[in-house]
Amino acid sequence: MLLLTDHYRVARQALDRSKTRAFLTMIGVAIGVASITAILALSGGVSKVIGRQVADLGGSVAVIRPSTGRASLADLSNPSPSNAYSTSPLQERDVTSISELLGVEAIAPLMTLSGSVRTNSSTPSESTIVATSPALQQISNLETADGQFIDSVTKQNTAVIGTQLSIDLFGTEQSIGQTFLVRGQSFTVIGILKRLNQPINYNNIDFDHAAIISLESGKLFNGGIAQIQQINVKAAPNTNMSRLADSIKLTLQNNHDNQKDSDVFIGREIAQPTSELFQFVSAVMAVIASISLLVGGIGIMNIMLVGVSERTREIGLRKAVGASNGTIVSQFLFEALIISVLGGVLGFLGGYFIAFVVSLMIPYDPVFSWYIVGWAATLSVGVGVVFGLYPAIRAARKDPIESLRRYH
Amino acid sequence: MAKPANKPVIKMTDLKKRFGVGDAEHYALDGVDLTVKKGEFIAIMGPSGCGKTTLLNIIGLLDRPTDGEYLLDGDNVEDLRSGQAAKIRAHRIGFIFQNFNLIERLNVLENVALPLTYSGVPHMKRIQRASDILKGFHLQEREYYMPWQLSGGQTQRVAIARALVNKPSIILADEPTGNLDSKSSHIIMEELSEIHKKGNTILMVTHNPNLTTYATRVITMLDGRIDTDTAEPKLHENKNEKRPLNKSAKQKSSKKGAKTTKSSRRKAKK
Ligand SMILES: Nc1ncnc2c1ncn2[C@@H]1O[C@H](COP(=O)(O)OP(=O)(O)OP(=O)(O)O)[C@@H](O)[C@H]1O
Ligand SMILES: [Mg+2]
Repeated sequence: MLLLTDHYRVARQALDRSKTRAFLTMIGVAIGVASITAILALSGGVSKVIGRQVADLGGSVAVIRPSTGRASLADLSNPSPSNAYSTSPLQERDVTSISELLGVEAIAPLMTLSGSVRTNSSTPSESTIVATSPALQQISNLETADGQFIDSVTKQNTAVIGTQLSIDLFGTEQSIGQTFLVRGQSFTVIGILKRLNQPINYNNIDFDHAAIISLESGKLFNGGIAQIQQINVKAAPNTNMSRLADSIKLTLQNNHDNQKDSDVFIGREIAQPTSELFQFVSAVMAVIASISLLVGGIGIMNIMLVGVSERTREIGLRKAVGASNGTIVSQFLFEALIISVLGGVLGFLGGYFIAFVVSLMIPYDPVFSWYIVGWAATLSVGVGVVFGLYPAIRAARKDPIESLRRYH
Repeated sequence: MAKPANKPVIKMTDLKKRFGVGDAEHYALDGVDLTVKKGEFIAIMGPSGCGKTTLLNIIGLLDRPTDGEYLLDGDNVEDLRSGQAAKIRAHRIGFIFQNFNLIERLNVLENVALPLTYSGVPHMKRIQRASDILKGFHLQEREYYMPWQLSGGQTQRVAIARALVNKPSIILADEPTGNLDSKSSHIIMEELSEIHKKGNTILMVTHNPNLTTYATRVITMLDGRIDTDTAEPKLHENKNEKRPLNKSAKQKSSKKGAKTTKSSRRKAKK
């Protein structure tokens, strides 16, 4: 067997002659690896942001969300992906049963309402209407800058709004007592939330742009039925979280005729990105990545096949002076690997470059982790091996006599 | 590797090589019996297309015979796996091809060092040994030339240097003096006989009768068979006894006869 350095030398000699060709082939792999790297770096960034929030919660929060098992590629072309909400299996009586479980200190259902928030003079483009219970303040550490949070005593048609929404609606952060409209219904501002600057969080709600109303008011917009997208549960101190999660699961199954239609997340699981936009973008990037890896791989196979037929005589000669079939296979495989790994390195750096550029426009930074390095390496080596093997075997199968005879 | 000196390096019995199938079927070698002892310098002559290159290829394990037996150092080559054959080529056999076959994008030094790559010599040592051998061929100033920058004679000498660099015990030279003038031819022949004097076995194909004087034994081939052999003058007669045909008749009838017997034998084998 040849040493790796020998293989490297032979492959270098071969690639030196066709630098441009090799470089162009490399780009295909590079684009694929770059997309993957960017996706992972950014999603890592999201997880990190949310993870920090989850850590702030002290590990005592459990989050219940409807199962997303039905999510498929078809959803990407669905004009209204948020319709998943209208079929949320979580109901008010789930909230009631869970609140009775041992170890549950507070519970807050989250119901996001469609429709915009407006005053007679302005309609902010970005706003979210959330109907929830007063316990959300405690569970999600929401602080008010002014006024008070919604509570069970205050009358209906009152709301707490985010700082930015207040500015967008009324042009000031001091808007206590002002009124705004939701679907023709008028609400009075009783509190302003402190600015959070957390557009990405495990509640999937940008509280700076949110209007928080009571669950009762929310239900009125929905024919008296609560459509709950998420239930946040805060456990009493020293509660075993996984055991609590299990009993929540059991309760939900009992309530839902043994249908497993929702998931309970605790600890770091809560931090997995759930934003649909994010998932959409990730899915698109993943498709781009796989296509470009495939194209890159085909490029490698192509350039290698060309190389093999160009070098037929050389292969014959190498065999004549003692190269075994195995040596020829590894020589050509090594050449393919050099292309794909260099492409991978290029793509990895490019991917981080893209991630940093993108992060200028979004509220979190990409993360670096060895896990991403591992993926980039695995993919580039994998593409090299998968698409380099066939040409390499073709090279090794060449009959030395024919090879030497045919080209001179 | 210490085999008794009298034991033949190469022993072929009724060796046949067929190319093509069906109507295109053609025997390039049609029953070659050849025994070569260690240290012989054999010149092979014969008209173009009589199977000389094919014979060298089979001796050098580049090709396999269709039929017959070939013992290399007493081992039947039929039993060799392709990896073992490669190893033997790397360590024990040096080829000088009819058309030299230098790799165009490698320089002279790298071309000469090529066989050493496959016999496990480290890079630095390879370069060193290739450089040494090129010195012997007065090509040291041409080390970094590319093949296309060499004259025909220089190219031939580089090809010989490459064949010798791994100190093979058997050297197979296919018209090493191909299209050289007689002076250059004799220089190359002197070099080959130097190598022969060191105890190597050489089989050389040539069309130039003058060069056979360097050889210890001369074989002529005709239509895939050995026609005359200075070492075994009897052989020729024996063969003629077995096939008492004049030349033109022999070509036609033997081909037909051979075809039927061979195909029936193949069937029987299966
Ligand atoms: N791969 C092949 N396929 C078909 N026929 C072949 C093949 N190789 C050789 N032959 C045929 O076998 C015969 C012998 O060829 P070979 O190259 O051994 O001749 P040669 O004696 O070396 O001739 P020359 O002196 O011209 O080099 C020729 O008729 C040739 O056409
Ligand atoms: Mg020939």
